[in-house]
Amino acid sequence: MTEKRTNKKGWIRKALFAFLLVVLLAGGAFWYIMNETFDDTAATQSAYTVSAQDLINAYQTNDSLANAAYREQIITVQGRVTEVEAADTTVNIKFTDPVTGSYLIFDFQSQHVADAKVLQAGDSVAIKGSCSGNIYSMLRKAHMISFKRSVLVTKF
Amino acid sequence: MKKTVLLFSLIALTATTGLFAQTKKTTSAIVAFDATTPKDALPKAENKTVIAEIDTKSGQIGFEAAVKNFTFTNPTIQAHFNEERWLNSDKFPAFTFMGKINDVTKYNFSKNGVYNVTVTGQLTVKDKTNNVTTPATIEVKNGTLIANASFSIVLADYGIQVGTAGKIAGEPKITVAAELK
Repeated sequence: MTEKRTNKKGWIRKALFAFLLVVLLAGGAFWYIMNETFDDTAATQSAYTVSAQDLINAYQTNDSLANAAYREQIITVQGRVTEVEAADTTVNIKFTDPVTGSYLIFDFQSQHVADAKVLQAGDSVAIKGSCSGNIYSMLRKAHMISFKRSVLVTKF
Repeated sequence: MKKTVLLFSLIALTATTGLFAQTKKTTSAIVAFDATTPKDALPKAENKTVIAEIDTKSGQIGFEAAVKNFTFTNPTIQAHFNEERWLNSDKFPAFTFMGKINDVTKYNFSKNGVYNVTVTGQLTVKDKTNNVTTPATIEVKNGTLIANASFSIVLADYGIQVGTAGKIAGEPKITVAAELK
């Protein structure tokens, strides 16, 4: 009788412990997801390094293929800045194909905005960012290939 | 003498139209999306690479935004935003708004000042189009137009169901800010 009671107590203790463990793990996972932020792009490896014109050409030739390769990837793009455009308290950097008007546009990660603000049209640079793929703009009759969370890698 | 006057007139005309072209444009308009609720402060994002154009004469307005370029602070929420049951950005990569400024002839956008206007148009999200009417302000500063607007949309109107958990607002606030040159 006493042995049975001891066994039952042991089983209840184990079940309680398992339940607490599950609650703790679930809570930890929830806390992690809710507080997760993006890594600094400066510390993230590029999947590709390409010239601005080559990337624009790839999208103009076949945007489905280009999206399959580049979209949602961290990419380093080298080229000559064609435009610096104000966006709120920050700036966007553009590389535009002078023939078609298609362009790459980079929105900067907050901790790297100051580096972008000193850039000027004509500067040769390498910029790394997360490629969001393209849309074909009916307003501009050109491809827009946008990047988010970008950082300036080098100003040549 | 006549030739000189004509030449000066042409130069003056070119300078004026150059300074205040009829169509004002930017590729760096900002559209913010806020679907936060008391239960969840994470579903909000911003896109700083939105294409915008305003024709100051006809009042035609256009905005185009890449869905995937909306930036969230949280990677998981950003992934949810783009997935098939929400915005399905692989299949529907752009938000568009095409509309006009109502009674555009009432406003003189070639003159500096702040103009309170009403904009009416069609917002297309996930290939579903609905009418939107919103008040907006347009400030003219030496040929540059600074436009601001804020309105809400009903996600269900665009085929997006938010569920009953109360973690995502069914009528998120959309804020638009653009500096058009």
